Amino acid sequence: MSAVLGVSAFHHDAAAALVIDGVVVAAQQEERLSGLKNDPRLPTRAMRACLGIGGLDARALDAVVFYENPYARFARVLEHAFAEVPRGIFRFGRLCEPMLRDKLWILDALASDLGVERSRVEYVSHHDAHAASAFFASPYERAAILTIDAVGESTTTACFLGEGTTITQLEQVASPNSLGLVYAAITSWLGFEVNEGEYKVMGLAGYGAPNRVDAVTRIIRPRPDGRFDVDPRFLTLHDEVDVGFSYAMVELLGAPRSRTRSWDLSSPDDRGYADVAASLQAVTEDALVALARRARARTNADALCLAGGVALNCVANARIAREAGFARVFVQPAAGDAGGALGAAYLGAFARGARRSGAPFHPYLGVRVDVSRVRSVAEALGLRVTSLPTPATNIAERIARGEVIAHVAGRAEWGPRALGHRSLLASAARGTARERIASVIKRREPFRPFAPAMLASEVGRSFDEGADDMTPFMTTTRHVREEALARLAATTHVDHTARVQTVAEDSVDPFAEILRAMRATTGDAIVLNASLNAPGDPMVATGEQALSFLLAHRVDALVAEDLLVSHP
Amino acid sequence: MSLRHRLVTVRELIVHFARRERAIFVPMLLVLLLGALLLGASTGVGHVAPFVYSLF
Repeated sequence: MSAVLGVSAFHHDAAAALVIDGVVVAAQQEERLSGLKNDPRLPTRAMRACLGIGGLDARALDAVVFYENPYARFARVLEHAFAEVPRGIFRFGRLCEPMLRDKLWILDALASDLGVERSRVEYVSHHDAHAASAFFASPYERAAILTIDAVGESTTTACFLGEGTTITQLEQVASPNSLGLVYAAITSWLGFEVNEGEYKVMGLAGYGAPNRVDAVTRIIRPRPDGRFDVDPRFLTLHDEVDVGFSYAMVELLGAPRSRTRSWDLSSPDDRGYADVAASLQAVTEDALVALARRARARTNADALCLAGGVALNCVANARIAREAGFARVFVQPAAGDAGGALGAAYLGAFARGARRSGAPFHPYLGVRVDVSRVRSVAEALGLRVTSLPTPATNIAERIARGEVIAHVAGRAEWGPRALGHRSLLASAARGTARERIASVIKRREPFRPFAPAMLASEVGRSFDEGADDMTPFMTTTRHVREEALARLAATTHVDHTARVQTVAEDSVDPFAEILRAMRATTGDAIVLNASLNAPGDPMVATGEQALSFLLAHRVDALVAEDLLVSHP
Repeated sequence: MSLRHRLVTVRELIVHFARRERAIFVPMLLVLLLGALLLGASTGVGHVAPFVYSLF
């Protein structure tokens, strides 16, 4: 037996993943257990959760693999720090301090925390970890792999060829040429938080017109060969955490938007910001499609895997699938830095001779909900607790009546999207439940859409395109048919697209049961599927967290597997 | 974290920088590491702290 623990930490979205004999048996993001959104710290809880799920002591591990070369990253930080001397001499300390304090010693920290020999702690390069997380989770034996993020050690974009149990880097783009950094900088200019607000920019883009493309292409300049250049004058690149924009970007795009002002898309001012978002999205999509076409030409592969934070841009993924010339495209749900833990574990496993199992990847890799604990805590709190003989039918009937149901079942999903096991469920058609979730429970910006989940059989009558390798993980979008707009009214974006999750018809998963019950009750096997979390909080993982959510928010009931919990 | 572990890291770090194109950073790297070690020692060992203060 070979057991490898992969770890990502110290930038954002710390996580751990356990691969035994080439099969991922557990993967958990630290934020879900610590309660701190995007928790970057050493993922002590996540590591222990993965070991517990795998039934292993840390000393039984063959290796612990970190998702980045800390020495190469330090070298890049020093190079950038020197580049600013003497002008930026006062930034030198701020740039080096995080590295010297803890990031440089991450391998030691892992050995100490887990109680393993330092010699068993290794690292892989950041983009190798991203590439591995996508390719080895995919159903492909051979594929092109494109990794795109803000920056790893110094690489921002890379193209690989994946074959069997190996990945080979073919080319790479180095900092400061980074699509991820530009997207992050304009996210910040739009008044959103970096590494958290990028998907809000994606939603906002639907409300704007791409009439600022000329300006954005002065920042991201496409090359005829499919690659791109970024003009670094528009960014403040050297601070890894506070990615910012320079005065040059303010002169180019205008005054940045205040973070505290509410959005009003009827105002010319906010429509102008939406236009910038739309323009950024258009230029980013063009660059990604060009890179994907270049990858196709270099590899002659029929399939493409995408990874890195930019691969969470599901709108761009849909366009890549349509235009880049690949027959199949795959994006695993934790495509960002958390996924690096999975990739690191895969690389460690296959380097030790493990084989790919060929089993389909499923996203439910986290901690399991303890229903008996939910019952005991709920009863102690004086909540109403009922055992349900047919929980799926009960949920479907409540949703059809307009209720909002918090649903937890089985193991928590891997990645930033709720995929039915830690979800808020409501009608995909009716607007009142959607408004309650948007305005009262999650208090979201008005331009952010909700997403539908449906059985695969519904896809043909709902969308112009069918299901594919990305739709089970909500990593792509679909265009909603005119005749389906009423059935999907609560989950269709202003541009008539939806970020859909498809569930196999014959799945025995509890979420599939709910969708079948929806069909029996309403005629449509469709629900609105939102993540079970409060504003600013990570998605819940445990039953206790779900109960806490029920107590604090106006949902009609919590269903934990076959247990219904409601207010007295 | 044990000192033994840290020494492994220091060795790996120096090996990483012991390439021609990065050799220019080695003097600064040694100063930074010395500073980091002294800071770590001064926070952990009370009688070193007065010497750190007088040196820096």
